[in-house]
Amino acid sequence: MRNFAMGRYRPYNTPMHRLDARVKIIALVSLMVAVFLGYGSVPLNFIIYGLIFLGLVVAMIIGKVSFLGVLRAIKAMWFMMIFILLFNVLIPTKGGDYFLIGDFKVYYSSIYNTLYIVFRLFLMLMITSILTATTSPMDMTFGLEFLLTPLKWIKVPVSSFAMILALALRFIPTLTEDTERLMRAQASRGVDFKEGKLKEKIKSITSLIIPLFSSALMRSGDLAIAMECRGYDPKAKRTKFRRKNWRISDTLWLLFFLVIFGGSIALAVLGGKYDFFQMFLDLFK
Amino acid sequence: MPIKIENLFYDYNPNTPFVAHALKDINLEIGENYFYALIGETGSGKSTLVQHLNALLWPSKGTIRIDEHFIDGNNKKLQKKKKKGVKKLRSHVGLVFQFPEYQLFEKDVLKDVAFGPRNFGIKEEEAIQIAKDSLNLVGIDESYYNRAPFELSGGEKRRVAIAGIIALKPKILVLDEPTAGLDPLGEKEMMDLFLKIHQNGTNVILVTHNMDIVLKYAEKVIVMDKGEVKRFVTPLELFQDQEFLNTVAIEPPLVFKVARELIDNGLNLDLKNISDLPSLASEIAKSKGETK
Repeated sequence: MRNFAMGRYRPYNTPMHRLDARVKIIALVSLMVAVFLGYGSVPLNFIIYGLIFLGLVVAMIIGKVSFLGVLRAIKAMWFMMIFILLFNVLIPTKGGDYFLIGDFKVYYSSIYNTLYIVFRLFLMLMITSILTATTSPMDMTFGLEFLLTPLKWIKVPVSSFAMILALALRFIPTLTEDTERLMRAQASRGVDFKEGKLKEKIKSITSLIIPLFSSALMRSGDLAIAMECRGYDPKAKRTKFRRKNWRISDTLWLLFFLVIFGGSIALAVLGGKYDFFQMFLDLFK
Repeated sequence: MPIKIENLFYDYNPNTPFVAHALKDINLEIGENYFYALIGETGSGKSTLVQHLNALLWPSKGTIRIDEHFIDGNNKKLQKKKKKGVKKLRSHVGLVFQFPEYQLFEKDVLKDVAFGPRNFGIKEEEAIQIAKDSLNLVGIDESYYNRAPFELSGGEKRRVAIAGIIALKPKILVLDEPTAGLDPLGEKEMMDLFLKIHQNGTNVILVTHNMDIVLKYAEKVIVMDKGEVKRFVTPLELFQDQEFLNTVAIEPPLVFKVARELIDNGLNLDLKNISDLPSLASEIAKSKGETK
């Protein structure tokens, strides 16, 4: 099951994988900004979301990212979508066009708002899963550490955070393995993790969590001693084992995403004043 | 307790870049009243195979019959649906994992051992009684009953954990490297415990890397290599077949290692006559008499 989990790193060698992690993180931030901005008019918003969606689909194909994980995410979002829709419909809006269900006014804007939220979340899921599926955890940590360098100047221990992050990422598979082993061991003792009354379920979870915590704590103790033995000092300046070569394509993509970043903000600010979509339509009149 | 495995295949991570073919066309028939060993290198599929025996893993292809229980890996519909009778099978085949001490979690020893039977619907009082019997069998006395499992020593924890499986009263007890990490004395005590359990009428399948244990305790031995069963013979037949041992990288027991060295250094011994220390000694004496 965990092998299809959304965003698990898949070790291929595609252009997406070769792209520098720093560029990908910047791309993530700029795309998220672009996704979460409003551009003034409803059609324009949907056009821009659609363009981003198409771009992401292409990126997923190039980077061999599994569509299955993202599809699962949509399936899980159904319930939330209905919930958000209900909320938006019931909350009074400032007006605009509406249609009637019985005596109840349903504003189009509330439906649009729901769709925005769902689209935005969905696109965000796609973006993050592309990033994590094509970037190895080590590269990601390195990229984050590099991008957070400015914080070092105000005495934030960025290197330590990066180390904590790297260790946490390193131990996810180990803990998953531990969990699976324990689940199997407890299943052999007749624990049923899926069925049963609430009380039994709580009991079955305790049979998992207590041993898991105890082994995780023991592991972290051992790890701390091992690091100490190898002379780890959080304050020391560290060198990099893997040097990344910055290529021209990295520069080009960086510029591209900076343009998207700047462009989307500009469009959003101007979109508040002018209706670009209407102006576009007027051109053809 | 016959076990019959036919054309069993198992893949880890199917349809992903991480796919690994762990079991390839396993065919096995196991009779009744046995103490068998299952050996092979790390990654040869031993643990994968034993997990099939209580349906923790479901075959990608093939079937397993264990007494009245039947696991049908060819029926794809069954894989998705709730697997019926699995719970019953799990009390029928008790599986002791590697380092079983990690599965302890209750607030005292007695409760932890009674946890298994309680899951299979046995009443509290009866479960406690079974727990006491099981603890008695593994040599944990009354003074431990109310202690927290986490404050016991490594060997004691393991005994308690094994008692937790014995308390299920399985007909077949599968042990996955139960002596790993124990000192020689602890190892011997543990093995004598399993022999006692076996003599009380439980079938034992022992996964191990320790060939001295195989030679001393096992009636027959299943040899696995790269996901396939290579041999299913008595330990003597296995260890006398030096050519085969070389191909699967199994280190023979001490007696046979010594005999091998002696032969390589010019002593005229016949491996076929050697089964333990006394037979080795008499074989050496015989060859000395001949050379004189």
